[in-house]
Amino acid sequence: MFGYVRPPQDLPKEELDRFGRAYCGLCHALGERFGAAARFILNYDFTFLAILLSDPEEGPIYHGRCAAHPIHGRKRLESSEALALAADESMILAYWQARDGIEDHDWFYGLKYRAVASVFESAYRKAAKARPNFDRSTRSQLCLLSDLERENCPSMDRAADTFAILLQGAAQGVEDPVRRRVLEQIFYHLGRWVYLVDAADDLKKDAVSGNYNPVALRYGLAEGAWTEEAKKEFAATLDHSIHMMVTAFELWDFGVWTPVLENTLYTGLFRVGKAVLDGTFRKRGKKRDTQERNT
Amino acid sequence: MNDPYQVLGISENASEEEIKRAYRELARKYHPDNYHDNPLADLAQEKMKEINAAYEEINKRRSGGGTRSGGPGSAYAGGWQQSYSSGGSSILQQVRAAIQVGDIARAEALLNNISSHNAEWNFLKGAVCYRRGWMDEALRYYQTACQMEPNNPEYRRALNLMQNGSPYRSDGQPFGTLCAGNPCLTLCCAYTLCNGGYCCFI
Repeated sequence: MFGYVRPPQDLPKEELDRFGRAYCGLCHALGERFGAAARFILNYDFTFLAILLSDPEEGPIYHGRCAAHPIHGRKRLESSEALALAADESMILAYWQARDGIEDHDWFYGLKYRAVASVFESAYRKAAKARPNFDRSTRSQLCLLSDLERENCPSMDRAADTFAILLQGAAQGVEDPVRRRVLEQIFYHLGRWVYLVDAADDLKKDAVSGNYNPVALRYGLAEGAWTEEAKKEFAATLDHSIHMMVTAFELWDFGVWTPVLENTLYTGLFRVGKAVLDGTFRKRGKKRDTQERNT
Repeated sequence: MNDPYQVLGISENASEEEIKRAYRELARKYHPDNYHDNPLADLAQEKMKEINAAYEEINKRRSGGGTRSGGPGSAYAGGWQQSYSSGGSSILQQVRAAIQVGDIARAEALLNNISSHNAEWNFLKGAVCYRRGWMDEALRYYQTACQMEPNNPEYRRALNLMQNGSPYRSDGQPFGTLCAGNPCLTLCCAYTLCNGGYCCFI
C-alpha cells in the first residue's frame, strides 16, 4: 500500500537537504529502537508522516556515518519524541502490511511476507507495547477492510474509509486539540488517497487475478481498462481528498517544514496520481509485475 | 492579540498596496467557500476573524487611531453560517440540526430511517458523506438532489462548490490530478536520497 508519496522536487537545495535530514533521522530512530533490520522499512510515506508529526522547529542536527553512508556520513535529525512516534507507528504499519500480504497471497508468494513478518515480530511487539491504541485501531481497521474485500464491497468510499481511519489513528498521540484535528483530517484523506491510488495502480493486475478492486467495481471497468469518463471522475475524487488535505494543512503552522509539505501536497500527489492514471508510475516492488505482464 | 503584521505575514514598513495584497490572499485562502461543509470550518472561521482583526488594527494604526469603515474586510465577513435550519419534514429538520452541531453519526442514523428519498434527503445525505470524507458518494448524492430539484439554490451551491471550487493558490498553479506535470517518476528513486540503498521494499 505504501510507496506513493514521493520525495519533494523542484525545491531549493536547502529544503531538499532538510527533507533528507528527516529521512535519515527516521532511519536512525528505527535502527535505534528496533535494531538495524528495521531500517529497511523506511520509505517516503513514513518520512512524510514523521515530518507532519514534527515540531515546527528542526531541532538539533547530528552528522554521523551509517551502513548506507559509511565514508562521508550524512546529516540527520537528532532523535525526538516526534521521530520516536513516527518510528513506532511505521513499524506497526509495516508489520501489519506484511501480515496482510500473507493473507493475500498463496503459500509460495506469501513466503516473502512471512519472512518479513517474522523478522519484525519482536520489533513489532515493542512498537505495539509503546503505542497500544494505534496498534489496536490498525488491527481492527485491517479486519474491517478484509471483511469488505471478502464481501466484494461495491462502495469505493467505504473500502477506502477503513484505510483512511487507520492512518488517521497516527494523530491520536498528538496533544494539542487543534493540531490533532488538522492532522486527523490530513491523515484521513492521505489514507483515502493512498488506498484509491493503490487500487487504481492494481487495476490490470487485479483484473487478471480476479482480486477485489474497489475502483474497477465502482466504475464497472472491464479488464481493468479506464474509460475517459471514469478516469475524469476518479481524478476528481482524488482531487477532493487533496482539497481536504490542503485546506487542513493551511490551518496549522508547520514551521520550517512548510515548503516541503506544501510541495508534496500541492504538487507531488497530483503528479503521482496522474502518473498512475497514465500507467507511467512504477513503484520499485511493482516493476517485476509489469515486466511479467509485458512478456 | 498577536502582532497584526505577523498575522498578515508582512513587515511593519509594508506599503498600503502590500498590506491589501497580503490581506486579500489570506482572505481568499480561508474563504468560507473553501471550507464549505468542511469539518474544520470553525478553525478557518477563527483564522478569518484573526486576519480581519489584524487588517483593521493596521488600518487603525496607520490612520492615526481613527477607525475606517468598509474596506475589503466586509466582502468576506458573511457566508460562514452554513444554515441547515430550513424547510422539510420534521425528521429532516432534526438531521439538519444534527449536521449543524457536527453530530454526523446521529444525522446519518436519522437519514437511514427515512424510506422516502426526496431531493432534500439526497442533499443532506451528500452533506453527511462530505463531512465523513466519502467524497465520491457525496458528489453523487448532491447530483441526485440537483437532478430532482434543478432550481433549488442550496443544492446547486453545494454541488457547484464541490465541482468547481479549488483551494486558492497564490502561485497561480493549476489544482488537479489531470493537469499535473508529469516528470519521469521512475527516476525518483535514483534522484536524491535512495542511493544508499535503503528504500521501500515492502
